[in-house]
Amino acid sequence: MNISYDWLKEYLDLTVLPEELAKYFDQIGLMIESIKKVNGDTVYEIETYANRPDTLGHLGVARELATLLGLPLKTPSWPLNELDQATFDLVDIQVLDSQLCPRYCGLVVKSVMVGPSPEWLKRRIEACGLRPINNVVDISNYVCFSLGQPLHTFDFGRLREARIIVRRARKGETLLTLDGQLVELTPDMLVIADESKPVALAGIIGGEESAITEKTTDVFIESANFDPVSIRLTAKKLGLTTDASYRFERGVDINTAPLGAMMAASLLSRCGGKASRGLIDVYPSQRKPKSVPLRLKRIAELLGIEIPEEFVVRTLTALGLKLNEQKPGVWVAEIPSFRVDLEREADLIEEIARFFGYDHIPSEVTPARSFELPASQEQDCLWFLKEILFHYGFDEVINFSFADQQKETIWQTGYQPIKLQNPISSRASILRTSILPGLVENAVWNYNREAEGVHIFETGKIYFWEEDGKQREEWHLGLITSGLKEGKAWNQPSRETDYFFLKGAIEDLFSYLGYDVPSFEPEDHSFFQSGQSVKISIKNEPIGYLGLLKPETRKAYELEKLAYGGELNLTALFGRQPRAFTFTAVPRYPGTVRDLSFQVEAQINFQDIYSQLRKLNVPFLERFEIYDRFEGGSLAPGQVSYSVRFFFRHESRTLLTEEVDRAMLNIISQLKSTLKIQLR
Amino acid sequence: MSSLQEKIEQYRQLFNDLAAKTKNIKELEELKQAFLSRKKGYITLLFDELKQLSPEEKKSAGVVLNDFKMEVQQTLTELEQKCLKPKAEKISPDLTLPGRKIYWGAPHPITLFQRKIEKIFISMGFAVEEGPEIETDYYNFEALNFPPYHPARDSWDTLYINDRLLLRTHTSPVQIRVMEKKKPPIRIIIPGKVYRRETPDPTHLPMFHQVEGLVVDRGITFAHLKGTLEYFIRALFGEKIKIRFRPSFFPFTEPSAEVDIECIACHGQDAQCRVCGGTGWKEILGAGLVDPQVFKNVNIDPEKYSGWAFGLGIDRTAMLAYEIPEMRYFYENDLRFLRQFNRR
Ligand SMILES: [Zn+2]
Repeated sequence: MNISYDWLKEYLDLTVLPEELAKYFDQIGLMIESIKKVNGDTVYEIETYANRPDTLGHLGVARELATLLGLPLKTPSWPLNELDQATFDLVDIQVLDSQLCPRYCGLVVKSVMVGPSPEWLKRRIEACGLRPINNVVDISNYVCFSLGQPLHTFDFGRLREARIIVRRARKGETLLTLDGQLVELTPDMLVIADESKPVALAGIIGGEESAITEKTTDVFIESANFDPVSIRLTAKKLGLTTDASYRFERGVDINTAPLGAMMAASLLSRCGGKASRGLIDVYPSQRKPKSVPLRLKRIAELLGIEIPEEFVVRTLTALGLKLNEQKPGVWVAEIPSFRVDLEREADLIEEIARFFGYDHIPSEVTPARSFELPASQEQDCLWFLKEILFHYGFDEVINFSFADQQKETIWQTGYQPIKLQNPISSRASILRTSILPGLVENAVWNYNREAEGVHIFETGKIYFWEEDGKQREEWHLGLITSGLKEGKAWNQPSRETDYFFLKGAIEDLFSYLGYDVPSFEPEDHSFFQSGQSVKISIKNEPIGYLGLLKPETRKAYELEKLAYGGELNLTALFGRQPRAFTFTAVPRYPGTVRDLSFQVEAQINFQDIYSQLRKLNVPFLERFEIYDRFEGGSLAPGQVSYSVRFFFRHESRTLLTEEVDRAMLNIISQLKSTLKIQLR
Repeated sequence: MSSLQEKIEQYRQLFNDLAAKTKNIKELEELKQAFLSRKKGYITLLFDELKQLSPEEKKSAGVVLNDFKMEVQQTLTELEQKCLKPKAEKISPDLTLPGRKIYWGAPHPITLFQRKIEKIFISMGFAVEEGPEIETDYYNFEALNFPPYHPARDSWDTLYINDRLLLRTHTSPVQIRVMEKKKPPIRIIIPGKVYRRETPDPTHLPMFHQVEGLVVDRGITFAHLKGTLEYFIRALFGEKIKIRFRPSFFPFTEPSAEVDIECIACHGQDAQCRVCGGTGWKEILGAGLVDPQVFKNVNIDPEKYSGWAFGLGIDRTAMLAYEIPEMRYFYENDLRFLRQFNRR
């Protein structure tokens, strides 16, 4: 909203200079976005709020400044040149829907000389950032930007049968608007019609046919009040926003309508016009002013400072409120109709705080009767998870939650995607159902920009419809590793990343976070090359998968390098209770180490061997490590050799050699029966 | 000179040659065995030969042989000391070569900044809460006192899923969810992703991050809001930062405020400043006392309890703190950008 310094002077005897006035705007929350000089006038572009339609005119802003600066608010008078004819003899006004049009004021001004506006008016119009058109149009804009009351002026001679009917549009009716659009009307829209058809879209825009032209001599002035919701719905439906609709949808003061009409008639009188006698004012159900209670003690309770009673009374009175004291420090405030935002005590307290100045309210520590536990276990886990991955050299990324539906089809995530009704672009039309596609995009982006390797992860949500039609959000972790792991250095060659780097990181996640050792079962997955992926689960609950990305997927994204990826369902993982940690006593007696090398059939995979070793029930066996594995060479085809180191210990004494020998025999015999091992 | 003495001379020569080449304990042991072994050592064999000689020859040769033996023993002792003494430890001919690096991954700047914010509030006894990103109109708007069809909704341009569901436009719906299930005192912050139907530009993107704060208890005042937020901003931007509170409007707070900090790019000294547009101030958060209607919507009696709330854009505040000119950098995920943040 543009506010002109000179225009404000119509309401205020300002003594502060234009530059100085700027800081007062800020203090009461009318934020200045820019200050311009226009025709020697100073124009402030201020930010206004949706609940303050009264600040959409100079009068309202002047009232704010008058309150702050302790100045009286002037009320200019609007004398008329009057005709002998009464308005109701000239025009017939019928309001058929007083719900959508609670008040309608109108009068006729005859013998108007349509032409350029006088200089002072042109300056006002230009200060608003508009182009002067002719005196009639400029006057209605002047009234709008003075009072915040939109007007509409019709060429009276074009109104058939001199009739104004405020009604809902009929099915099939159309209106050619002032800006040349043919609008199809529907019965939910309120129109101004003459005897035969709509001549304006109420409170939004006028029609071409009844518009003021150079040939116009008689003008019908409409100064009305329309229902905010109806105006908003119609304007949204038609994609039209005008100065009028902008004000009406915020709520125009119902009591300004007569003044708006009189002000316009007075100004048209100055252009040779003569106004019809007596304003027609259709206002069937008068609105009572709102009453809001106010307690002085409540002001201190909410603001944290005692504000003098005298200040409270002075401020609210200057803002147009009438305070009726009930008992000392307790009032009922009568709210002026132009303040649609003031409804509760808290609203009045805000007014007091605003004019008292937020700067003058003290700063205090918020007291606490209790402290909350700082963070949930999940949030702790999430951060620790990230730290483990940083340690592995993964960089963290954050991608948009949106995805390209077509591109995501390649992945066949198996989830029913959630579509957006009004997406920003077709490439962001659904919510992602996997973290990995975004990571692949990131890899490509970086390979195209000098990267030699990309090792990244993201934690975030995926979104999908469940089978019962409910929306679901799940926290996931996605990881990708591709290309060189570490750059070449004088003392180390560069290394390509591999599957086992990724798997190691994931294994450590589980172990450091205190979860059970997960199982990794070879299983095909739509993301990965056939036979090149595993399913990760804990105690048969699937948690994620990991493998080598499909070449088809890489091709679709133009990712040339191999990439290994994994995705874990953190909602499922964090839903599990990690093992409670308590320390284990440090051994005080030396342990004994024995190595065992054996070969097994190659189709027995590591996972099987590992779980059989874990199942061993042998006295004194503390732990084991698998330290070598090979195939080929001297081994028969189809055979794999493993070397395992076993650690034995007794907690309260040194073990005897024979005890360890017996334990080893025991192990060998168990493994012979479970894994069919052959010793080497 | 007897042939034995000549032999001794030859062995001395041999011993000296070998001793000169001896570099380690293993070689020393071999040398010792070769000369002093009780069965086959050269000196042992020479003594055997000595026994065969005539008494006269025995005497003169014996002296020479004993000398030789002593000489050998002494040399071996010296050698042993030399071998046992740790060799001068050398690292590299050039100690200025770069060290071996282990790459430590970088947190995303949003994560990093969010964590800074969380830590400040956690230190003041706040809990961290979260909530769904897919919301209903009720939680996102209605319960927060946005009337249906009110233009106040225009500043929260919304991405819809269907007539019932939308992507939350702010983290504020979590306020409602928390107040519905928990009675005061409440002292929480809520970080998370939010969505708006914005045309992308340097400071607007359809997805960004917010952190919301909420305190509800008896006797909470606007002064508490000011004091706590000032402390928070100083903890984030330094003790000397200038802060200003000015009136604003949000449907869910009353009175409402916006908080500006001085422009850290120009400190109000540059009328052409690209960060603050020459105003010297930069808006960083919106706040206010919880609107009584919001309390009523969650069955908290506004006469008994009061509270304050604030909302801050993490992205835009991080842009200020790190002097990042464009928001899109956060979501391009260029490693050359991201890896700058592993210096935490
Ligand atoms: Zn600046």
